[in-house]
Amino acid sequence: MRLGFFFREAVRSIRSNVAISIAAIVTVMIAVFILGTFIPSYLYVQSAVRQQESRLDVRVFIADSATTPQVNALDAQIVALQTHGLVKSFTFVSKQEGLQQLEQEGADPSILQGLPNNPLPAAFDLTPTNPAKNPQIAAALRGSPAIDTTMPNGNGITYGQQVASRLLSIARFIQYAGLVLLGILLIAAILLISNTIRLSVFARRREVEVMRLVGATNWFIRWPFVIEGVICGVAGAVISVVALWIGKVLVVDPYVSSFNDPLTKSEVNTLGFGTLALILVVAGGLVGAVGSGVTLRRFLRV
Amino acid sequence: MSTDADAELKPAEPSRSTNRRARDVERRIDRRSLLRPGDGPMVTFEGVTKRYGTDVVGLADVSVSIEAGEFVFLVGPSGSGKSTFIRLLIKELDANEGTVIVGGRDLGKMRRSKVPYLRRGIGCVFQDYKLLPGRTIYENVAYALEVTGDAPRAIRRKVPEILSLTGLSDKSDRLPDELSGGEQQRVSIARAFVNHPRLLIADEPTGNLDPDTSIGIMQLLYRINRTGTTVIMATHDRDLVDKMQMRVIALEDGRLVRDERSASYATVEP
Repeated sequence: MRLGFFFREAVRSIRSNVAISIAAIVTVMIAVFILGTFIPSYLYVQSAVRQQESRLDVRVFIADSATTPQVNALDAQIVALQTHGLVKSFTFVSKQEGLQQLEQEGADPSILQGLPNNPLPAAFDLTPTNPAKNPQIAAALRGSPAIDTTMPNGNGITYGQQVASRLLSIARFIQYAGLVLLGILLIAAILLISNTIRLSVFARRREVEVMRLVGATNWFIRWPFVIEGVICGVAGAVISVVALWIGKVLVVDPYVSSFNDPLTKSEVNTLGFGTLALILVVAGGLVGAVGSGVTLRRFLRV
Repeated sequence: MSTDADAELKPAEPSRSTNRRARDVERRIDRRSLLRPGDGPMVTFEGVTKRYGTDVVGLADVSVSIEAGEFVFLVGPSGSGKSTFIRLLIKELDANEGTVIVGGRDLGKMRRSKVPYLRRGIGCVFQDYKLLPGRTIYENVAYALEVTGDAPRAIRRKVPEILSLTGLSDKSDRLPDELSGGEQQRVSIARAFVNHPRLLIADEPTGNLDPDTSIGIMQLLYRINRTGTTVIMATHDRDLVDKMQMRVIALEDGRLVRDERSASYATVEP
């Protein structure tokens, strides 16, 4: 390997075609910047959806009139569901606890205090192992005499069927759309780079002609261009990463911390900036290499 | 030509160890170049036809043989097939019919990937010099050696050597467009010969030069030929050909119309 020679040639070419090289760098910069905002947003949405999914708990309301044996029977039914693997865990929420929860979720305390008595029924909160199977859980419990059928939804069991299926289909859509978008972005970046390298090859067609005349192998001709592509790709990616970091520090971080209460903090997260930066720089270099390699194929037919 | 000039063109007799190194390098170049000496004629065309598209004929049924070490003029008016002949030799083109054999290799059967190694054994000189404008004379000549993978030390030794042989020592740091046409053509010859190829092809090397400068270039090519390198020179410089009285191969409309030893540009009228 004549690495020194290839590097000298690549740097010489970048220096003698400053405008073209800048165009290539800017191209990669834009593509990588879009990629760099897209990847964390995509992961964030995914993680948020997953968290929402976990909130799709089933709530079974207990009638105030229910007797203790009736409630115990219901409890036994739920335990049975748990051993079948449909329910992950469940808790009993007393009338008093229900009221406290409502207060915690931000209901106006003055309204709650103004109530003559506690209107909230006691309830079981069920966390399903798979929110998609909530209807099955509901069907299994329906008919128990302990259930308060006067509650909205008619049968005393709520699990937000619509929200659940909606969220799940949105999550799936986001996943596929995200992958397609990612693919399109990458192809666009490669095409742009390849176009730029084509200009660079065109500017150096005399060199390529002479190289072929004196018996350079195709790979020998290709290496300086590939290195040139990688240098431009990495340079563009590094600039983007710096821009993304500035954006993160100035915009995203303050915004996130502004609604950083204990409820939203939880498990919604995305990958660390260091990992993202590494991925982006490697992607930039790869796009540069592939772009120039692909372009040169056409020029190297003897 | 004086024998002094011949001696000058051969590398100075080196010490034993550098001699061995030089021999190793030569052997490596020979192996890579695919052109080995003593494999019969340097160039053989057998019934070669080259068409462009369907009805434009570049060469029509040309058969000719050129021995190793010969000096041959390829003459004929523009469009007679001289350039086609040359481009077939370096496999820039493939013949439609017939066989082209260079250094014992049938180019029709040669794989694409071997073409670079073929070209390392052939020096090429063109009317428009084909020098790289952004590089100094030294770098232009060194380029041919970088491409063939010579060691930096070998490059530092060979380039000044060939520049002094071609009379360009004091120009080595100049850029091509600071030089006259004749000087630029010398650089191009230096680059073509720095690998000591077994075959040197010159396509109208004096086409852009005045008669005096042309003679200088001609002498340089002749001296290269005297070191054992086969030289094929396409030209329509009548005076030069007449003066040299070498073998002349004449083409017209793609056909071989004359092949004579020690001849002039045109047949002498009786």
